[in-house]
Amino acid sequence: MSKQWMRLDNAALIFPAVRSKRWVNVFRVSCTLTEPVDPNLLQQAVTQLMPRFPSMYVRLRRGLFWHYLEEITAPPTVREDYAYPLAHMQERELRTCCLRVLYFQNRLAVEFFHSLTDGTGGMIYLKTLTARYLSLRYGLEIPPGDGVLDWQEPPCREELEDSFLRHSGKFVLYDREPDALRLRGTYEPDFLHLTTGVIPTDSLVRAAHDHRTTVTVFLAAVMELSILELQQEHVPLAQRKPVKVTVPVNLRRLYGSKTLRNFVLTLNPGVDPRMGDFTLQELCDVMSCQLKAEATPQNMSGRIAANVTPQLNPVLRAAPLFVKNIAMRLVYSRRGESKGCINMSNLGLQRLPGAMAPYVSRLEFVVGVQRSYPNNCSVASYGRTTCVNMIRNIREPVLEQRFFSKLVELGVPVQIESNEK
Amino acid sequence: MYCVKCGVRLTEGVARCPLCHTPVWNPVCTEPPAQTFPDRYPMPPKSSRYPFLAFFTVVCMAVCLSALIFCLKTYNAVSWSGYVMLGIAVVYFSFFFPSWFDKPHPLVFLPLFFALTCGYLLYICLYNGGRWFLSFAFPVVMLVGLLCVVSVALFRYVKGGKLYITGGLLIAIGGSTMLIEMFEHITFGTKMFTWSLYTVSFFSLFGLFLLLAALIRPMREYLERKLFL
Repeated sequence: MSKQWMRLDNAALIFPAVRSKRWVNVFRVSCTLTEPVDPNLLQQAVTQLMPRFPSMYVRLRRGLFWHYLEEITAPPTVREDYAYPLAHMQERELRTCCLRVLYFQNRLAVEFFHSLTDGTGGMIYLKTLTARYLSLRYGLEIPPGDGVLDWQEPPCREELEDSFLRHSGKFVLYDREPDALRLRGTYEPDFLHLTTGVIPTDSLVRAAHDHRTTVTVFLAAVMELSILELQQEHVPLAQRKPVKVTVPVNLRRLYGSKTLRNFVLTLNPGVDPRMGDFTLQELCDVMSCQLKAEATPQNMSGRIAANVTPQLNPVLRAAPLFVKNIAMRLVYSRRGESKGCINMSNLGLQRLPGAMAPYVSRLEFVVGVQRSYPNNCSVASYGRTTCVNMIRNIREPVLEQRFFSKLVELGVPVQIESNEK
Repeated sequence: MYCVKCGVRLTEGVARCPLCHTPVWNPVCTEPPAQTFPDRYPMPPKSSRYPFLAFFTVVCMAVCLSALIFCLKTYNAVSWSGYVMLGIAVVYFSFFFPSWFDKPHPLVFLPLFFALTCGYLLYICLYNGGRWFLSFAFPVVMLVGLLCVVSVALFRYVKGGKLYITGGLLIAIGGSTMLIEMFEHITFGTKMFTWSLYTVSFFSLFGLFLLLAALIRPMREYLERKLFL
């Protein structure tokens, strides 16, 4: 029987083209249980979910004109976690399976190559995997809902579709944004520093509401203020660059899509420090307005069209893969990462079915560093706890220190955990 | 337990704050902190190019040796096998030999490529009893080599001014084509100014246009707006 294969979705096309020997776009979702993870049962759960998630159990293959995803026949083997999250996925690993299932003590984690899915899709897989694991471990009956899918149902067509193609607008919206400040530091190869700020959700929500905004905008504004201060200390006024935080927008909410593949676009709200100093409230107001104005279905359709149009162009389609790779690398370095200083990816408040909630103490989300960003920030809330994960591949934790100290100054208690030895 | 500098709460038992590295002194807690990640490190990425390079090197050597043996057995002399061996040497040392190094420096290997090309052409010239090497092949290869090396050095080491560099190089390329035609004229007795005028005018005009764009800011911004990727 021939193996099933699928095209990469529109957002996923760029990731195989821009990966290098040192960098690949990977993210991680993890779940901390109340008891240690049994690797045998976890392996069993991973195997049982294979038919339910055909878009996840795949490997990356190279065609003459495009990369594509091919189903794998054997499930990935669960492994003990590494000393740091998001260890580099080498080409050989991507050719075997594009996801990793890891465990350490009470925690089970899944790391995805970004061409498979985005954070929301990854979280749905993690929740379903955890539900299946808990069912095997404790004999629980966990009903589907709150992001947990029925593992015995076949996948529906909507879950596997490339929603970008369906929701692309008729007119292309090109935006000309100035480049943002590039954060720098002393590069440390073969290690990623993860600093987790564990924050009570209610105090974070209260602080955001005090500033008349949402948690995402509040955290992005605090981050922006921290970067503005760092730039102010080191760069003369005339040479300062715009400070912008890249905020991914989950398009499923805008268009009602159920896809488990990538369906996210990023916006870069921010300010130009040469225009003057900004208070936190002003930053919250500016960013909130920018996001509200940009993140409309109409506007996003135009942005999707800007990405989809080249993919559908017959001349570009006919170009061999290596030519496309060169072109995509060029586009990515000119437009992909240069418009923001750091990501602020918030998966929002996660819920779980009541039957499994007592067994889960924490859900986390970690996005890897970008090719040219040394820092990245990702957020997920579950129960009463919000985990703000800051990852970096440089030695200096100056941004983390500034960001978390600022939250403490604003009356948000932060507990710090780190993977530093 | 809190950091006195950052104000954040720390995990019990840590020796220093992970954010500001301020040492933590807690006489009550002597236990080490709970481990959040194991000590297991992933395998460092292996470079897969060395086996391929070694294999390719062996193949190249085998081809050279076979050609040499065949030539010696058949003609009792090195005849066409000289072309094969030197051709393979040029290709190997120009395109594959740099891959043995982690960061091959173009300013080392680019001159090497042109030197090898010169050597190969010299062999062909001497073997055939030609008289075109010193008056044509050598200056042309050196000229092209010089242009390439200068371009790479300028783009690599000069920050900014890319339009000036590109414009200047285009004018230089145009001028070089006229020199090449002159060498052709001296060596082979062809007519002067038959084709080089077209290339000189094309490259010089294009180069001048870029220099103007570099000098006139509104023009540069207009072009950038219209031609951005």
